[in-house]
Amino acid sequence: MNLIRICGSLLLAFAIACPAIAADAVANDFPLTEIAPGNFVHFGSQDERSPENMGDQANIGFIVGANCVAVVDPGGSLAVGQALRAALRKVTDKPICYVILTHMHPDHVFGAAAFRGDPAEVVGHANLPRALAMRARPYLKALQRDLGELAAGSEIVIPSVLVKDETALDLGGRIIRVKAWPPAHTDNDLTVADDLTGTLWVSDLLFIEHTPVVDGTITGFLRVLDALARLDVQHYVAGHGRSVAPWPQVLEPERAYLSLIVRETRAAIKRRETIEQATDEVGLSERAKWVNFDAFHRRNVITAYAELEWE
Amino acid sequence: MTSLYKIGLAAVLACAPLLSAFANEKAEPDPAKSQYWPPIRQIMFGDREILDGKDVMRVYLSTRADDAATVPVAVKAQFDQTPSQYIKQVYLIVERNPSPAAGVFQFTPDSGRAQVETRLRFEDFSFVRAIAETNDGKLYMSSRWVKAAGGCSAPGDKNRIPENLVGTMKFRFADETVEANKPALVQLMIRHPNESALASDFDGSKTPQFVRHVAVTYAGKNVMSADVDFSISDNPSFRFYFVPEKEGELEAVVEDTHDKHYVHRELIVEGVPLPGG
Repeated sequence: MNLIRICGSLLLAFAIACPAIAADAVANDFPLTEIAPGNFVHFGSQDERSPENMGDQANIGFIVGANCVAVVDPGGSLAVGQALRAALRKVTDKPICYVILTHMHPDHVFGAAAFRGDPAEVVGHANLPRALAMRARPYLKALQRDLGELAAGSEIVIPSVLVKDETALDLGGRIIRVKAWPPAHTDNDLTVADDLTGTLWVSDLLFIEHTPVVDGTITGFLRVLDALARLDVQHYVAGHGRSVAPWPQVLEPERAYLSLIVRETRAAIKRRETIEQATDEVGLSERAKWVNFDAFHRRNVITAYAELEWE
Repeated sequence: MTSLYKIGLAAVLACAPLLSAFANEKAEPDPAKSQYWPPIRQIMFGDREILDGKDVMRVYLSTRADDAATVPVAVKAQFDQTPSQYIKQVYLIVERNPSPAAGVFQFTPDSGRAQVETRLRFEDFSFVRAIAETNDGKLYMSSRWVKAAGGCSAPGDKNRIPENLVGTMKFRFADETVEANKPALVQLMIRHPNESALASDFDGSKTPQFVRHVAVTYAGKNVMSADVDFSISDNPSFRFYFVPEKEGELEAVVEDTHDKHYVHRELIVEGVPLPGG
């Protein structure tokens, strides 16, 4: 596995022996759910990142083929990546041939170093290397701030296999399709489809319960939701949260939330309000419907305003 | 022309030995005890005295930044610009950014009020410092501590701008119409990636492309000009006052680090509806 480290000397200074101990603690309580044959999911916590959850926030997992295994997101820290790997090894001893990074966000990618000893290619969206290069340092600083010394060993790993449109990966008797989407949640979103079981790993293009996050383009996000709704999906894995609602109805709460922000932000712009004014008032009627609303909602409005003021 | 970028890099180099000492700061530190400030102050202002700025210029921004890529900030003079007493320039500094000097904004008595609103990137929790230089050459400083949002909020462009749109500009007026001789607020919007130098970590062969100079005139007279840097968010936005007459043209000239020049003009006539809504 080709690891390109952009971890600065800043973080290396903190590289001490704690992660192994922490990883054991996480691994002892790291449940997996086989949501469809060969598709194993670990559902992350909805809490904000803390030393207690070690960045175990995103829904992550793996798909097992006849020859090898593809990891779909290594999780939010080295400890989470190690716990996922340990749990995977209880399911199968097949080699791990791919580590897919569904997008740039720290809760999905920081565990990649746990798979360094595996013969795995790291797969990402064609826009991912640039996006990570610009954010690696602030991401590492924030991880250090939230996890303290438990952040040690977590690294940004740049993908070696880049997906521009769609790439098929052969796991042996099971071909998974990795699709690169136009800018939406971020400008580097991937989904992973296992056609054998009709399973779609949607990652953060779908938030359930957890406030959706827009770190790309809100109008692009809504367009991608339209395209996703047309897909034939039997089983799905959201980036955050879980639901028994059928596809595509499960997309509706997120679509309603994003549509409301677009509508209200456009109206605020029309009234010549500033970005600060809009941030104070747009979308508040959605507050009771979502977890972590205060941590993410205002930021979504800022992103929406900065985009929609150009219309 | 001043290269802010160089000031920024020099300051970072000066800070380097201190950086490894950064602590887990959730509480607000003392602005007078910041380790980051003395080397920046030395490079930018030497031994010049810096006075308390609360009666001259204040800096407004929320203590918890919602989005580290886009943090609205306003610096506002505490008195009107007159030929005998006015603010000549305002330095805006994000202490812990890779290039701390975000901008130096120049004003004239014709500016009406020395005030500018823009949007900043934050790489870390940081003090923001606004230093006003008055026409008598004195310096006044106001500081604010900002906790950038944690987790997945980080500086960087969210959606790349198509090449053919780079340099497109728009004026948005705070009011539908203007009145002659009454200061009017206008927002200058510039479509531009304002690439951070961190982008060259990814492609070292490429000089980062960011806006380095903005000059706005009304009826040929200087209203606001600024030397700026990549601590300003992508699609740079500047909101400021000008004093319209019965009729006149507002013009913005923007220059970036790839030596590209962009010009935008808008004819403003008293009582005639203006864009912005």
